Amino acid sequence: MNSILKTKKIIKHFDGVKAVDGLSVEIEKGKITGLIGPNGSGKTTLMNLLTGMFPFDGGFVAVDGVSGIKKIRSYDIPAFGITRTFQDVRLFEQMTVLDNILVVLTERNIVSALFERHKKIHHEKAKEVLERVGLWEKKNELAINLSYGQRKLLEIARALAMNSEIYFFDEPFAGLFPEMVKLVSGIIKELRTHGKTVVLIEHDMGLIRELCDYVFVMESGKLLAEGEPEKVLKNKDVIEAYLGE
Amino acid sequence: MDYFIHLGILFAIYVILGAGLNLLVGYTGLLSVTHAAFYGIGAYTTAILLTQTGFGFFSSVILGIFVTMITAFLVGIVLSKFKDDYYALASLGFNIIVFSAFLNWQDLTKGPLGIPGISRPELFGFSFSSNISYFVLAILFAGLIYFISKFIINSSFGRVLKAIREDEKAIQVFGYNTQFYKLAIFVISAGMASVAGSLFASYITFIDPSSFYIIESIFILTIIIIGGLANMRGVLLGALFLILLPEALRFVGFPSDIAAQMRQVVYGLILVLLMLYRPKGFLGEYDL
Amino acid sequence: MEIFIQLILNSLIAGSIYALIALGFNLIFGVVKFFDLGYGAMIVIGAYATFYFTKIIGLNIFLAAALGVLSAGVVGLLVNRFVYQNLRKKKASNMVLLIASLGVFTVLQAVTAILFSSQFKTLSQSVTANVYNIFGGIVTQTQIVIFICAVVIMIALTVMLNKTKFGKAVKAIGDDEEVAKIVGINTNKIIAGVFFIGSAIAGLAGILIGFDTGIEPTMGLKLILKGVIASIIGGIGNVYGGVLGALFLGFVENFGIWKLSGEWKDAIAFVVLILFLLFRPRGIFKK
Repeated sequence: MNSILKTKKIIKHFDGVKAVDGLSVEIEKGKITGLIGPNGSGKTTLMNLLTGMFPFDGGFVAVDGVSGIKKIRSYDIPAFGITRTFQDVRLFEQMTVLDNILVVLTERNIVSALFERHKKIHHEKAKEVLERVGLWEKKNELAINLSYGQRKLLEIARALAMNSEIYFFDEPFAGLFPEMVKLVSGIIKELRTHGKTVVLIEHDMGLIRELCDYVFVMESGKLLAEGEPEKVLKNKDVIEAYLGE
Repeated sequence: MDYFIHLGILFAIYVILGAGLNLLVGYTGLLSVTHAAFYGIGAYTTAILLTQTGFGFFSSVILGIFVTMITAFLVGIVLSKFKDDYYALASLGFNIIVFSAFLNWQDLTKGPLGIPGISRPELFGFSFSSNISYFVLAILFAGLIYFISKFIINSSFGRVLKAIREDEKAIQVFGYNTQFYKLAIFVISAGMASVAGSLFASYITFIDPSSFYIIESIFILTIIIIGGLANMRGVLLGALFLILLPEALRFVGFPSDIAAQMRQVVYGLILVLLMLYRPKGFLGEYDL
Repeated sequence: MEIFIQLILNSLIAGSIYALIALGFNLIFGVVKFFDLGYGAMIVIGAYATFYFTKIIGLNIFLAAALGVLSAGVVGLLVNRFVYQNLRKKKASNMVLLIASLGVFTVLQAVTAILFSSQFKTLSQSVTANVYNIFGGIVTQTQIVIFICAVVIMIALTVMLNKTKFGKAVKAIGDDEEVAKIVGINTNKIIAGVFFIGSAIAGLAGILIGFDTGIEPTMGLKLILKGVIASIIGGIGNVYGGVLGALFLGFVENFGIWKLSGEWKDAIAFVVLILFLLFRPRGIFKK
């Protein structure tokens, strides 16, 4: 197996509660990996740890050939080829739709950011991703004025603009209308055909079956089961964990 | 007429101060209450250089920017670690520390006595001793700062500042080490305040620490809050409003000692009412 | 040696003043969770109301002081009712509340200056103060009263917070206002009560300062900031921590100016603040 991202016994405590408890997972390159489990099982926490939202208390991470990583700073994760969306949709609210995209496209270096040179290229890329999610018409609206579904789509477009290797999507379908669900699942499949890696947190088992090549089931910060979705979803422990919720 | 020119010069100085502070408060969302400190460092640099050395006004402006930016860099390293109300509090602390230095570092600043006899600028033999020529000079400086601010806001650097204001943690995930950005804009904004300080010192020809206390920082903050955060025209409106307000109060006929306090009452009331009914100010594009 | 004792006494007195201010401030911060700078004006109002009742109306000094405390409490109550309560209803951000409180402070300070002029005034009746000698250090009668007041108020607050229904409601709101509402606490009423008590304590501090050194309308800002610093040292929102923070600040300031000139006192206080914010942002007790 050709893994692109690995965690080894990664641990996170919150005031004594073990949110992630010695978890070891291996994500395969170019596949869609599902992360499922009851609420509070540590799925989002794991994603937050891997994107440097807060430090982990123990264990290691290996990304893209670099192993033994003990500390991830959030501003370094694009260098590891990772980008993400957030469960609680975090847009730059009082900025336009277009600016929400452009801001992740432009130069990180301060001087180059002041004297921008590739304006046109960035604009074209922004147009491309906004058209992909059907928001180009809304480019001059403030993000705060979008509907809930549009906000989720904008967040996905922002992730697409990063042109990363690994995409973390935290419940991208939650609260979306059926046609939007179709749009987003189409985007995720398309990423796979381009050889990108997707890690998906999702509660809808139909979508997990449809999209995922492999699934990790978490409970209380630990790994409960892993494998192909069809097999895993028939697993007794998994069914119990969900019904017992 | 001379009085209008006087107001015009003050207007230009406060536009410079407001523009710099708006970059910080309005665009980056950092509630800084230490602008008067940098304004003061600029003013003292010019005052000391012009009264005690052979430096000319324009080189003192440059040197003032330099000194201020270095100070701001050191202060900013510390401040970049804070946000929201804690940022406001820590920045206010720096204003008080710098003010104490103006007051107590007597060998350099002459303490509460202040520094008199600061000369007006000269350039190629032309002296800006008349108020009208000084007005032109001040407006030129204000215009320059205004356009530099505009340039910064419209660049992709400015867009990142706004994103920091909106959600600092989220923009970090996209590869921005935001501490550098916050530090950079803090230093730039301080440099602008220094220019205003130099202009003020050379115009009034006398400075003492009282002009650079927290009250002044709050006054500059009031300008941009009234005019509107994250809007450059708001700075013009706010500066104009707060400079004309005392004149309006005088027109009503308050005796001068009460007029000064009346002004404070009006500033305070405006702040309270704006926060209650329109927290983004008149032309603002950013809700605090 | 004597200077040493005097410094300790001075630190204790300064610490007691800061403690009073921090007690009220923390009480309010505990329920509203923002830096209420308007609180600084209550210190001024307490002092000037007392000045008015004793020196202009000619009331008995104790009655005047009681009315001064009451006035500060009532003004605090009104500000809460007409400004902060409305902002809370709109779910205004802390920045908005902070700026509004700055506006409140500015207005009240300026109104005081218009009514009483900006000149320095004192509340004490006699020119000579009764002084006591303690281990070779000198304290005035007023300063002993200050110390006693700080201790009494602290004990009273402790009892109130732990033993009364009101105190429990205050704590519940401090933990989570929404939850407090759900369990049937009239949060607006309780918060109003907190503003009254907190502001009254600020007023008391102002009156004591007026007897000790003197009053001017601009004194509020410096004092509220010292109260905030003391609170942050002790862990913001922690009523008892604030008292220890206040004593700490009193000692650092007074021992700091032993070698430096007195003018650096404020700078010292703010250096302490920034050091704490950097290395112990949750106060001296918590990492």
